[in-house]
Amino acid sequence: MKREPFFWITISCGVVIMAFILLPLIQLMTSPSLGMLRETIQDKDVVRSIWLSIYTAGLAALISFVFGTPLAYLLARREFSGKRFVEGIIDLPIAIPHPVVGIAILSVAGKNHWIGQVFSELGVRVMGSVTGIVTVLTFVGIPFYLNAAKTGFESISPRLEKVSRSLGASMFSTFVRITFPLAWRSMLIGIIMCCARAISEFGAVVIVAYHPMIAPVLIYERFEAYGLRYSQPVAVWLVSICLVLFLILRILTLRNAKEI
Amino acid sequence: MREKSGCKWLLYVIITIVILLPCSKSSGDVSGKIIIFNAGSLTLPFARMEKEFEARYPKADILREAAGSRKCARKITDLKKPCDIMASADFTVIDQMLIPKYADWNIRFATNRLVLCYMDKSKYSKEVNAQNWFEILGRKGVVWGHSDPNLDPCGYRSLMVLQLAEKYYKIPGLYERLIANRPKENIRPKSVELVSLLQTGNMDYAWEYRSVAVQHELKFVELADQINLGNYKYDEFYKKAVVEVAGKKPGTTIKKKGKSCTYGITILKDAPNKEAAISILQYMLDPHGGLKVLQEMGQPPFIPCRVPTAAMRKSLPRVLQKMVEVKD
Repeated sequence: MKREPFFWITISCGVVIMAFILLPLIQLMTSPSLGMLRETIQDKDVVRSIWLSIYTAGLAALISFVFGTPLAYLLARREFSGKRFVEGIIDLPIAIPHPVVGIAILSVAGKNHWIGQVFSELGVRVMGSVTGIVTVLTFVGIPFYLNAAKTGFESISPRLEKVSRSLGASMFSTFVRITFPLAWRSMLIGIIMCCARAISEFGAVVIVAYHPMIAPVLIYERFEAYGLRYSQPVAVWLVSICLVLFLILRILTLRNAKEI
Repeated sequence: MREKSGCKWLLYVIITIVILLPCSKSSGDVSGKIIIFNAGSLTLPFARMEKEFEARYPKADILREAAGSRKCARKITDLKKPCDIMASADFTVIDQMLIPKYADWNIRFATNRLVLCYMDKSKYSKEVNAQNWFEILGRKGVVWGHSDPNLDPCGYRSLMVLQLAEKYYKIPGLYERLIANRPKENIRPKSVELVSLLQTGNMDYAWEYRSVAVQHELKFVELADQINLGNYKYDEFYKKAVVEVAGKKPGTTIKKKGKSCTYGITILKDAPNKEAAISILQYMLDPHGGLKVLQEMGQPPFIPCRVPTAAMRKSLPRVLQKMVEVKD
């Protein structure tokens, strides 16, 4: 069979994009020596920061899942006035420059704002705390979860739900028994996207919380204080660990996709 | 008659050329992009200098990148980023990290000093003054911070001020007591970032350079010269403050001794636009140009600027040599 020119265009564009993404990453991953990498992962600060990164990003994804799922479902199923506006607001965190996000969150959490005053009376601290980090990561990550989950719900025919409802199931039980089993893969992809976005966040976090240090902040601190030589290995570890985590999640989703 | 009008015509041409000549020369010789890496605390005065300079030389385009002084140097030594001029808040950063490989000389052009900034809403803002600040910073519930000593000279200098206060006011244990009341979470990479924490009410007091306080219109407590690191007459006393900062690799430290805040500036050896960089420096070191801007923005300049040795003065571009004095 003779290949059309368009086929070759798709192939060559694909190769260019792969090279564009991979070349800098390969350069990064291969720069530090094995000895350096070993030394780095034995460093308690490094392990602590990577763990904190994964843990806070995971919490952000969990919060997005719990609070985002009902909203995503609503947006997928109902038409209402102002829906486009709500969808626009959901996408806002993607567009705002990161340091601005940090300052905005701090200005709500500070003494100059009534919310901040309530927080301080309750003993909740946002500046320089895990609470603050999770707040920032949820802020930047939640649009990715919402959009993925919404797309997932939209792809399921409402008819199936109507059948379930007509047979007497409640809205909640319909969601749990019909919608969720069909849409969970999109939701998982949303969670992965949200996590990935959260793990990569630096600009907003460094304004809200420098200590305790998440991995991107530690990489920055290492770079400034000690130079590239000592920041690269941390970056390599963060990238590798994230890569493994996301690969596992992807493989899990794929395997189940075949089963269905 | 005809000859006369010919002469007149020639005269006009000559006059026009004479008028245009200096203009075309002055706006023609400085052009292109000039990259400046500067310490965060110089951002605002440099922004104003950029405006003034570019108004004089419309073809010049100054690109500034502000960061901690050590990071600026790292960008040159590690990332090999192209740069024409580097201005550091601690002139020794240029001496230690850039000379001799990346630069030949280092001009000291301005000073600064540490002040304690606060807002109207800060706790105890009504009563804080030069005599009781160290007592207020020790009170429970007061949130105060400084920048990271490992990344920002303002950070270790803030700690030095506390040590000097302990010695100057003869209160043993003051330094330890104050640090114990400052959780690590109150540290930020750069001192300028503390400003937004003050303004949003997340922090009560922050250590800043006087210039930053003036430029951001913060309230601040001026300290005694003996402890504010602003007067080189007290360098012998400042030396008694010693802070450990990050060394060459994680886990190692080096000791920094107190010394007056002195800003250094240099042109990099492989500056992409050296000609223009020299013109900018000529403007910056001019008492009616850049130094005036510094003065107005709370950063007392050296008039004239200084280099430590006659040999270094000789290594300067010729036009700059007569603008500096040799003074250690």
